[in-house]
Amino acid sequence: MLCILKTLEEGDVDVADLASYFEQVGKTALLTKEQEVYLSQQIEKGDRQARDHMIQANLRLAISIAKKYQNSGCSLEDLIQESSMGLIKAVDRFDWRKGFKFSTYACWWIKQAVRKHVASHAGSIKLPAHAKNLLWKVQVTSKEYEEEFGSPPSNEELADLLGVKKETLESIIMSSRWTLSLDKEVGNKSEGSSRTLKEIIPDDKESFELSLDKAKVSQIIREAFGHLSSREEKVLRLRFGIDEIVGSEEQFYLTKSEISEIKKGRK
Amino acid sequence: MSMPKGYQSELGYATVSSEEGCMGYREIAEKMTDEGDKMNHSTARNVFLRAMEKLAAPVCKVYGEQNFVSMARDPRFQECMQEIIEDFGVDI
Repeated sequence: MLCILKTLEEGDVDVADLASYFEQVGKTALLTKEQEVYLSQQIEKGDRQARDHMIQANLRLAISIAKKYQNSGCSLEDLIQESSMGLIKAVDRFDWRKGFKFSTYACWWIKQAVRKHVASHAGSIKLPAHAKNLLWKVQVTSKEYEEEFGSPPSNEELADLLGVKKETLESIIMSSRWTLSLDKEVGNKSEGSSRTLKEIIPDDKESFELSLDKAKVSQIIREAFGHLSSREEKVLRLRFGIDEIVGSEEQFYLTKSEISEIKKGRK
Repeated sequence: MSMPKGYQSELGYATVSSEEGCMGYREIAEKMTDEGDKMNHSTARNVFLRAMEKLAAPVCKVYGEQNFVSMARDPRFQECMQEIIEDFGVDI
């Protein structure tokens, strides 16, 4: 157990060991209030073993808090590590004289450590503290507005309510969105699917084969044009509205149809 | 008693003549006649279709199609040819 604790402190947790780690954590019995007081007194005297025992006995609390932040964009291993660091801090600062249970005091330190980690590591775009604060206000205000009026507020209304510029609000909301990696695997891994997100996003551009095909057809048509008689070529040009000689339209700034109309009138 | 007048192609007719600068067969015949090559609208159509066949034949050969005549009459092919030829510009 001590070995696991040391690993946690050093920040090197193996993902594969998580299950066995949970199992080992569960083996340590929970402490009674009297035991907590006794251990705290020992810690004050500088007893390292008492400190380790206190930490081990409360690791379950750290894990349970870390699990609540699992969907925040950080890995569970990292969260457990951070919550354990918060727990260690709580053990070092716990004052048994106040008369509270250790878990009451420790959960605030653990939550603080986890939240700090989530705030600085969740998502690929790092936001400054004031932006995070504004985002939190946006969430609260939106919720209140929706409860009162039955529909979510527009960005203009939100900006008005919070006293910020609409552009600022929009850019902060945009920055807070989750980003997805194109290399993220999609589908069921157990079924042998190893496709990534970039493989299933449709490409709107013309495919290379199609453009090659087009170039080939164009070449064939160009060559075939050489086999047309002058009469056929002339009829084809007239039918498709392709000018034989560019000139008259450019000189008179008239459209082809206008020139055609004038010619008809002349007849 | 009214009788059917000709038949409508399965895919309809190419309506290139409705576009700006494009001409119908009667207009083509009129213009060609004015320029000394006397023809009526049927001849204009026949000449146009023969030109289309000449263009369709090598394309069909490449894609393993047999019936280049029906392809030449296909309005989709004609519209496609118009687009390709327009891409070439006046310098064909």
